[in-house]
Amino acid sequence: MLSMQNISMVYRTDTVETHALREFSLEVGEGEFVAVTGPSGSGKTTFLNIAGLLERFTSGKYLLDGKDVSSLSDSDTSKVRNEKIGFVFQGFNLIPDLNVFDNVDVPLRYRGFDTAERKRRIEGVLERVGLSSRAKHLPSQLSGGQQQRVAIARALAGEPRFLLADEPTGNLDSHMAESIMALIEEINAGGTTVIMVTHDPALAERAGRNVHIRDGQVSDVETDVQLVANA
Amino acid sequence: MQIGPIWRALMRNKTGAILIALQVAVTMAIMVNAISIIQSRAESMARPSGVDEPNIFHIVSVGYTEDFDERSVIEQDLAAIRAMPGVIDAIQTNSVPLSGGGWSMGLQTEPGADQDGVGVAVYFVDEHGLDTYGLKLVAGENFTPGDVEWRERQATDWPSTTLLTQAMAEQLFPDNWRDALGATVYINDDEPLVVKGIIERMQAAWNGWDGVERVMLVPQHTLFGSTRYVIRTEPGQRDSLMPEVEKLLADSNRDRIVRGMQTMTETRERSYRGDSSMIKLLTFTIVLLLVITSLGIVGLASFSVSRRTKQIGTRRALGASKSSIARYFMTENVLISGVGVALGAVLTVGLNMLLVDAFGLDRLEIWLVPAAMLVLLLVGQLAVFGPARRAAGVPPAVATRTI
Ligand SMILES: Nc1ncnc2c1ncn2[C@@H]1O[C@H](COP(=O)(O)OP(=O)(O)OP(=O)(O)O)[C@@H](O)[C@H]1O
Ligand SMILES: [Mg+2]
Repeated sequence: MLSMQNISMVYRTDTVETHALREFSLEVGEGEFVAVTGPSGSGKTTFLNIAGLLERFTSGKYLLDGKDVSSLSDSDTSKVRNEKIGFVFQGFNLIPDLNVFDNVDVPLRYRGFDTAERKRRIEGVLERVGLSSRAKHLPSQLSGGQQQRVAIARALAGEPRFLLADEPTGNLDSHMAESIMALIEEINAGGTTVIMVTHDPALAERAGRNVHIRDGQVSDVETDVQLVANA
Repeated sequence: MQIGPIWRALMRNKTGAILIALQVAVTMAIMVNAISIIQSRAESMARPSGVDEPNIFHIVSVGYTEDFDERSVIEQDLAAIRAMPGVIDAIQTNSVPLSGGGWSMGLQTEPGADQDGVGVAVYFVDEHGLDTYGLKLVAGENFTPGDVEWRERQATDWPSTTLLTQAMAEQLFPDNWRDALGATVYINDDEPLVVKGIIERMQAAWNGWDGVERVMLVPQHTLFGSTRYVIRTEPGQRDSLMPEVEKLLADSNRDRIVRGMQTMTETRERSYRGDSSMIKLLTFTIVLLLVITSLGIVGLASFSVSRRTKQIGTRRALGASKSSIARYFMTENVLISGVGVALGAVLTVGLNMLLVDAFGLDRLEIWLVPAAMLVLLLVGQLAVFGPARRAAGVPPAVATRTI
């Protein structure tokens, strides 16, 4: 499903070289829910960016859905992101000048769906995240939790196989964080593979698997505590 | 395409866009009206004077002593100049086309002080006039040596024949200008002149006069003290003959001064000097306005790209390719400039009506409006190209890297 072998990522500036990932290897199976934890600066976002084709890596091998995606052109890479991957960001990243409906519409337009299909999908996902009544609202007129729900709706509208989330609850209070986490769990239950970066051990525990990154490497792959206990 | 959301997003950040649209509109209004003025000036400059300009020059001779015998000097001068190799022909006259100074009279088809006369420019020439100026006779005949008289400075009477330009004939005989041939016309209310011939075209001395092609040739030599010779040369000989003629005139008689030698080319250039500078000034204004507008567009687009860096990264993460990001900004510019040129079309026509009213300018040719709209849309696209490319270069990772 997602397979990284010996991925290295080096950021070079004029004066410093930062090894954000070193010989990083990870396999994620279909339908898994993986929580990624690690100290600040350990390379979690770097990993997620590479997994989501937002950045190209320095060396190693990355297969997504069994396909080598490192040599795709810009427009093909964009197409893969558009069709297979849904992103959820810590800062929500809604487009402030567009209302909820138009925000969810953004990836669907890049996908090239016709008007009726887009409308059907937008109404479907807004229903699913409980924001049907807010379609005409601007992001600034919504709470943080609601904004993140819109962002999730936007990520889901194209029915991606992967949902990548970088600290999706990082900017939310615990009550809102819980509702977002519940929504992500529900999405995973529907068969979508989820990779979520989080600082919150309690949330990480609820994932099927925890990956801990330290200094750009997987330090240990812990299976869910529950599963270990059952074994 | 995604015009809907681009327009809606634009409507939430109107101020800059409205200012640029207004700038485009004003630029267009000024540009089109300036072009219209340039057009009419250029048209008036392009009107033929009717004479063989490249091969003609003229020179003034003024006698200043008591016993200066003007008549015999003129006869000698003309004989000498006409005999020079390379000279096609020469005349003595009072004025030349486009020189800015000359005679005008009124002609009427019926005698009487109660009749309205038609203004006409007067050139005094002999039977060499047509040949010297290179004029084309379209009806009737040239003067004969027998027609030519001598005119004193104080004379008020007129000879019995004249040649008119076709434009003058049309003015006097609106039904059919050919009726002018052989007709009697009246000068000074009741002095008759028979129209002996009609020439195709010749311009008066004043380029701004609306009757600039209304000219009459009168078969007289003038004894006005100051006289002007017009000389036509074989092609290519003009410049070498000019100093020779000047020397001949100066040397042949010491009782006069010779001055004001000028080619017809120079005469035309001086006549239209104001128009030429006006055209240059307006062209410069147009270019300046286009540059300023382009810079405004670049500025607004650059600002909007930097303001939306994160949004661009997010769009990239959601599946926008580089080219669709670039297209977003190009489309946004089409919308802004589109509003600008639509407004500009109205403003252009309005300004033109004002100018027509206030300054009597020509009404603009309406095709200029869509043409200018197209040009400004194109200029907008060129201006926004750089910022749009920069937007396309925003890395997708910006989506996760910036808060
Ligand atoms: N564009 C960049 N240029 C240079 N260095 C970078 C760049 N992006 C990240 N880094 C460096 O790479 C390393 C890993 O960064 P990354 O953002 O992946 O960490 P992280 O685990 O997500 O941290 P956090 O928990 O604070 O978000 C850090 O040392 C960071 O400074
Ligand atoms: Mg991070």
